Amino acid sequence: MNVGVAHSEVNPNTRVMNSRGIWLTYALGVGMLHIVLLSIPFFSVPVVWTLTNVIHNFGMYVFMHAVKGTPFETPDQGKARLLTHWEQLDYGVQFTSSRKFFTISPIILYVASRHLEQEIFSCKFLHEVRHNTLCHKHCFPFECADPQIATTTRSPHLWHQQVLS
Amino acid sequence: MPPSMTESSANKLINGDVCHRTANGKKSSGRNGFVKNHCLFQQPQQKKYRRPSEKNNHAVRNASLYNKPFVEQFEETPLLVAVLTYVGYGILTIFGYLRDFLRNWGVEKCHVASERDEQKDFVPLYQDFENFYTRNLYMRIRDNWNRPICSVPGAKMDLVERTSKDYNWTFEHTGKVVKDVINMGSYNYLGFAENTGRCADSATGSTHKYGVGVGSTRSEMGNLDIHEELEQLVARFLGVESSMAFGMGFATNSMNIPALAGKGCLILSDELNHASLVLGARLSGATIRVFKHNNMVSLEKLLRDAIVHGQPRTHRPWKKMLILVEGIYSMEGSIVRLPEVIALKKHYKAYLYLDEAHSIGALGPRGGGVVDYFGLDPKDVDIMMGTFTKSFGAAGGYIGGKRELIDYLRSHSHSSIYATAMSPPVSQQIITSMKIIMGEDDTTLGAERLKQLSENTIYFRRKLREMGFIIYGNNDSPVVPMMLYMPAKIGAFGREMLKRNIGTVVVGFPATPIIESRARFCVSAAHTRDMLDTALEAIGEVGDVLQVKYSRHHDFPSSLGPWSSAESLLLEPSHVKSSCHITN
Repeated sequence: MNVGVAHSEVNPNTRVMNSRGIWLTYALGVGMLHIVLLSIPFFSVPVVWTLTNVIHNFGMYVFMHAVKGTPFETPDQGKARLLTHWEQLDYGVQFTSSRKFFTISPIILYVASRHLEQEIFSCKFLHEVRHNTLCHKHCFPFECADPQIATTTRSPHLWHQQVLS
Repeated sequence: MPPSMTESSANKLINGDVCHRTANGKKSSGRNGFVKNHCLFQQPQQKKYRRPSEKNNHAVRNASLYNKPFVEQFEETPLLVAVLTYVGYGILTIFGYLRDFLRNWGVEKCHVASERDEQKDFVPLYQDFENFYTRNLYMRIRDNWNRPICSVPGAKMDLVERTSKDYNWTFEHTGKVVKDVINMGSYNYLGFAENTGRCADSATGSTHKYGVGVGSTRSEMGNLDIHEELEQLVARFLGVESSMAFGMGFATNSMNIPALAGKGCLILSDELNHASLVLGARLSGATIRVFKHNNMVSLEKLLRDAIVHGQPRTHRPWKKMLILVEGIYSMEGSIVRLPEVIALKKHYKAYLYLDEAHSIGALGPRGGGVVDYFGLDPKDVDIMMGTFTKSFGAAGGYIGGKRELIDYLRSHSHSSIYATAMSPPVSQQIITSMKIIMGEDDTTLGAERLKQLSENTIYFRRKLREMGFIIYGNNDSPVVPMMLYMPAKIGAFGREMLKRNIGTVVVGFPATPIIESRARFCVSAAHTRDMLDTALEAIGEVGDVLQVKYSRHHDFPSSLGPWSSAESLLLEPSHVKSSCHITN
């Protein structure tokens, strides 16, 4: 829509990643991808996390580091045609907040996937959570079985004994 | 404690009665005690945990420089809307890639130019990624632009009806004409776009006398007496010593700024300046620095840095500093803070170039533009530029200023040496319309039109705000941008308004920032109250259907207070001492 360009911004692509709400949109997008993958029945949770990471990294690579130029004509005589979107961000100024955010986000995604694929959905953690909530609801803390037992022994029938006592 | 200041008059104003919530109470004790802050306009106190809900909502810091309230609002985009806008662009991008894939593999017909088969192995002739946006997004809603008009673009106009069988790649005229479409897009601020009446008669008369073409440039054989008369009239209208007129408004800027600034000069230009100013600044070869839109703190910082550090590597002083601002910014509807700019320019000894393309004739009690609106002295502005396209119903531009400056431009401007002179009927149209505005034709038509424009502006803006739309800009500006945000709503809004017989202009990315697509209405003195009511009703209806009533300020009508009547604020320059009007 080349109706009276409203600003003297040579390359609007440089400002897109600084606009209001784009970081949130990006985070929500990754979240949606994860949920969609989780809802596919035959993928287990670690596989889903791996897939999220892989697809996210692939998508970011294609859009930020592989595609060159701008999808519209710019008045800079084609200076941006040889630059990927990452290089165009903020006109090449390094270590701006957008660059830091998009550098750190795949690292966070990876670390989160390593941590969470083991803890959240495994049996041990669920049992611990259930035990703690039941214990604090129905018994006084000193009447409860030794809290050390909950963390050391993992056999299911011993846990049932403690709850029913 | 007030920082120590020199005794210039501008500073005296600041140390005078300034609202206690404005900036002058800034303490410089936070820094090392040796650095005194001599800034004219200081940073406001940074309150902790302040979450501004309005962006760019500058408090008027030096309220004593203004003689009437300066109320501008740029409500911030709601976060949900921003997220949905990005999702919209994302979906469009994905579908764009899909369609490109289909076109590449021959499944879909390719309408864009492409190389011949025998040239496929050569270096590519067409950059097809740069065309991505045009062929995948713009083409889908292309029927909202370039609509052929087959009558005078006055308050109502006739449009040629077009249909497209291949999704806007080609158009066919059905042969019918859509009649009496209310025109909310033309820059017809005072209603001089008409084919009957005194202006049209005098233009016809001058065509009979001079013909239509001039056949030469101003410097050679094209200097007619009607041009001289026009320039003297423009100088009198603006209150300057002398002026010069050019055939094209864009060319006025792009051809004259290179004559005024060159290498070794500094140009400080506003962020949202028009393409003509940007082009002129680039052609001049001067160093360009951009300050944030209408932000006097940013401008002052740039001025101070420039004076302190000089030119980039040699640190020599700049040959001159030129500040480029516009009167009304047509995409935002904001008015420049001229009193503060003039105070800055006097303090730091820079020159001011004011582009009044949209504000001349549309603001001010006598139609004299922003200078008249703020009640300032035209001699304070070094170069007053404007166009005749908007309020005078003609074409062309002018530059006004001191006699020496204009004489210099007559010989050094590219426009006067190379561009054809203004056509005689156009010049006569400007002369007649300017005389009407000044009241020199013994009727009150000019004063009536000015009053009608300001009433229409206030009424239209108030009603749109009450309906719940987000409107940008100053309360007195006749340009009204209404935010739509999402790409699909741009096309939908334009088409729905046309179905209801109202012609509007919609703008999207990349002409605006990515989330700030808008529809831009231009209020005209030729609109009657009924036309505005019809338009407002239609806009309200379409707004409900498209759900564009995003504003979260539902208490706005009650807080308007004394401005809620439709009385014109602009008739008398009311010397009301402005109180604290921090718009929140």
